[in-house]
Amino acid sequence: MGRLRRALASDHVAGWAFIGPAFLLIGVFGILPIVWGLVLSFQKSDLIDPNTPFVGLTNYRALAHDHVLRIAAGHTLVYTGVFVPVSVIGALFVAVALNRKIHLIRFYRTAVFVPVVASTIATSIMFLWLFDAQYGLANWLLGKIGVGPFGFFDSPRGALYAIIAMTVWGWVGFDVIIYLAALQGIPHELVEAAEIDGASRWSIFRSITVPLLGPATLLLVVWSSINALQLFDEVYFVTHGGPPPYNTAVVVWWLFSLAFRLGAAGYAAAIAYVLFLAILVLTMVQFWLGNKVVHYSS
Amino acid sequence: MTMEAQADRIAWPEEAEVAERPRRRWLPFSPWHLVLFPLALIMLLPLVWMIVTSLETQAESLHFPPVLVPGSLHFGNYPSALRSAPFGRWFLNTFIVTSTVVVSNLLLCSLAGYAFARIRFFGRAATFMLLLATLMVPFQVVMIPTFLIVKKLGLFDSLPALIAPNLVSAFGIFMLRQFFRTLPVELEEAARIDGASRLGVLFKIVLPLSLPALATLAVIQFMWTWNDFLWPLIAVFSQRNFTLQLGLTVFQGSHDVFWPLVMAGNVMSMIPMLVLFFAAQRYFVRGIATTGLKG
Amino acid sequence: MAQVVLDHVTKVFDDQVMAVDDLTLTVGDGEFIILVGPSGCGKTTALRMLAGLEKVTSGRIAIDGRVINDVSPRDRDIAMVFQNYALYPHMTVFRNLAFGLRQRKVPSREIDRRVHEVSEILGLEDLLKRRPAQLSGGQRQRVAMGRALVREPKAFLLDEPLSNLDAKLRVQMRAELKRLHQRLGVTTIYVTHDQVEAMTLGDRIAVLSGGKLQQLGPPQDVYDHPVNVFVAGFIGSPPMNLLRANAVNGRITAGDLQLDIPGLADGDVVVGVRPEMLRPAGDGLPAVPFTVDVVEPLGDEIVVHGTVAGRLAGSGADDQIPTTGGGAELATVTARFDPQLRPTVGDRIPLRIRPEAVHLFDARTGEAIR
Repeated sequence: MGRLRRALASDHVAGWAFIGPAFLLIGVFGILPIVWGLVLSFQKSDLIDPNTPFVGLTNYRALAHDHVLRIAAGHTLVYTGVFVPVSVIGALFVAVALNRKIHLIRFYRTAVFVPVVASTIATSIMFLWLFDAQYGLANWLLGKIGVGPFGFFDSPRGALYAIIAMTVWGWVGFDVIIYLAALQGIPHELVEAAEIDGASRWSIFRSITVPLLGPATLLLVVWSSINALQLFDEVYFVTHGGPPPYNTAVVVWWLFSLAFRLGAAGYAAAIAYVLFLAILVLTMVQFWLGNKVVHYSS
Repeated sequence: MTMEAQADRIAWPEEAEVAERPRRRWLPFSPWHLVLFPLALIMLLPLVWMIVTSLETQAESLHFPPVLVPGSLHFGNYPSALRSAPFGRWFLNTFIVTSTVVVSNLLLCSLAGYAFARIRFFGRAATFMLLLATLMVPFQVVMIPTFLIVKKLGLFDSLPALIAPNLVSAFGIFMLRQFFRTLPVELEEAARIDGASRLGVLFKIVLPLSLPALATLAVIQFMWTWNDFLWPLIAVFSQRNFTLQLGLTVFQGSHDVFWPLVMAGNVMSMIPMLVLFFAAQRYFVRGIATTGLKG
Repeated sequence: MAQVVLDHVTKVFDDQVMAVDDLTLTVGDGEFIILVGPSGCGKTTALRMLAGLEKVTSGRIAIDGRVINDVSPRDRDIAMVFQNYALYPHMTVFRNLAFGLRQRKVPSREIDRRVHEVSEILGLEDLLKRRPAQLSGGQRQRVAMGRALVREPKAFLLDEPLSNLDAKLRVQMRAELKRLHQRLGVTTIYVTHDQVEAMTLGDRIAVLSGGKLQQLGPPQDVYDHPVNVFVAGFIGSPPMNLLRANAVNGRITAGDLQLDIPGLADGDVVVGVRPEMLRPAGDGLPAVPFTVDVVEPLGDEIVVHGTVAGRLAGSGADDQIPTTGGGAELATVTARFDPQLRPTVGDRIPLRIRPEAVHLFDARTGEAIR
């Protein structure tokens, strides 16, 4: 009896009891879908018919001939290629500007952070209105400096830029927080030593600050890229879920449409896995390149 | 200094930061204001414009150049918005889903996080690896099968469908584990010697010391769930089960041109998040900063 | 190489804290001067004002005849060694050393020459390709010094550069520093809280307390003739013994100690005697009874703590409030004996105090009377 009690009180039982519910839930809603997703990608499924025949690599082969996917991938890459540098570099300068103790600094910081809590949909609505071709405030303001008016959401390029603007707006606060934390980790003595060494403010920024922010920059580039490649909400909202002419189609939007509107879930699962792979590879490449350039102090 | 203290200095700057030495003699204030003030205005512009529009009449909104200051504050748009769509219902749905998810996460992530941090059990390393693996897989891979699972469980098109997959988050477990490990083990050991059970130690010693981390988790999880769009789009079909984010899309479709009404709806949908943000800004900032510092 | 002048320099921080109070000090060209005092005495603030890292509230600072109050640090042509070294962690030792020269657009050939010259002096040649994280504390300290040397500035400012080293290294580096100064002869202002460093390194030492300059002079002078109770208690290790005493009609009484000083005004005074001046009395000479309490053999001498009749006086140089053990009128006093003597706890030894070795201070103002 004593042994049983001791066994029950043992750490192994306790450990499993503690992680039990979480383990079960993550097993069902985390692990299982990952595996099932892979299985699905080898099947033909419309999500309704319980009969899902095995089709081998057909789905994967179809990827190469999908011209919508090609367009969507192009848009996604262009979006990522602009979003990541703009938001990360922009956040760097904003963080440097915010890293000081002057009047109203709390107000300024709050103003930069607040957009992070706005949902993608709420943001899309705000910007749809802001960038309205006829009555939008943006065109009016741009007119004041002698530019425009623009159609924004009326054209594929305009819509892309508008989406870049609204996602940068929504995310820059996040990046700024990370940069602020990193900036405050730079010992002030280093800046003082550089000043005494004769460096100008710009020189200090370039030779001391930016290199020491390397790890944070790498993290943000990786994080932003992963998120950018998964762009969906804004695109869905702007196109009202409608198909052609694929103005602003991005990969995840096409994936979603295939699975939940066009009854091609197996194929969609294949795309999802390829996207996963692409993200993984990109991340590894970024880290590999990053670690060559970035110096981790201590 | 602890990571939390470092993160706090971002939301609440103290003396230790770059102190300003006004060098210029021709400006009574720091030149940085000339950069920061316009920046703050640009960041707040969409929000402010949304609020202003929500207080205009239909006629005022459909006017170019835009009416910057409405003739009178047309608060009527708000009740109109509530009436024109089942807003109240959507609010309730979102609230139920979000609070359930937050509470569940606080509980389950604490239990699991503590186990991973302090209890040596068979298979701990392997299950932790598995946990980390799930963090690496993007949602798109998982969403289709999850839909099928939810359907099989008979939960499709109901609030439980929105709750079940989010009852526990791997991120939350990871975050709390990291935090628990920073607490001095001696406190827990002393309590166990004094006769407390593992559960007792967790609830009486560890969690009271972890309130900041728990607050951070709660706040971040609240934001994710409240603002979530893709999963509700997949899992829920009938309007009466919509969350606010879904409801807003419907709103948009049916009130194409009635912008003030749409803006009013939008404002209302954002109020809880904004209130939470201002009440708990420190925890938001901490949550994000600690992600970065560990990343 | 230049003269450095502080002229009635005062620094008041935002919260009304006066860190430096009317400091006037001239450092001669090539002189090695030490600012010494307990933490919070204003020495680091004074140094930072010299560097340009703090603004001067009032007063003037001049280097090489030029008033530099409003000149930014980068244009002052000074070099500083920080307490924590402040090495650029992402740069190699070579680049750390070269940084200041690059900023001033010194041609790379000259940079090379200077860096290698300094590396040789400091023994850093093998470390040039390493990063600070890969260096030991002592090596980092030398790189920090090298960075200053390479600049060939008008003045060196050193902020407690040895305090992060272990005791043995500290002693070694002290000698190195002195050697370097003898060789290079650059005007040096050195801040420390360690009075041993102050005594051994400086041409002159400036003792500060509460932002005010207490005494300025060559180390031996300050040691032999402290101008007030603070300096008396701060300089010298073990510290000077200070007892409260009373002067009446030219006779000073402190417990069992009696001194006759004709012409002395009546009142409360503080009597100070350095530990090495307390010798066991020979027979027949007037002596003060001393009971041994703690014995610390140091090899070349023995430090003995014990009690005499009397009351201790505080100097303000330490945080401790003088307490006496046991009975009402016992003061703990420290003496240094020859190692030949082997005192044991409880021994009663009569101590002889030569009148010339006694320092007298006004009990109210702390100023030296004699």
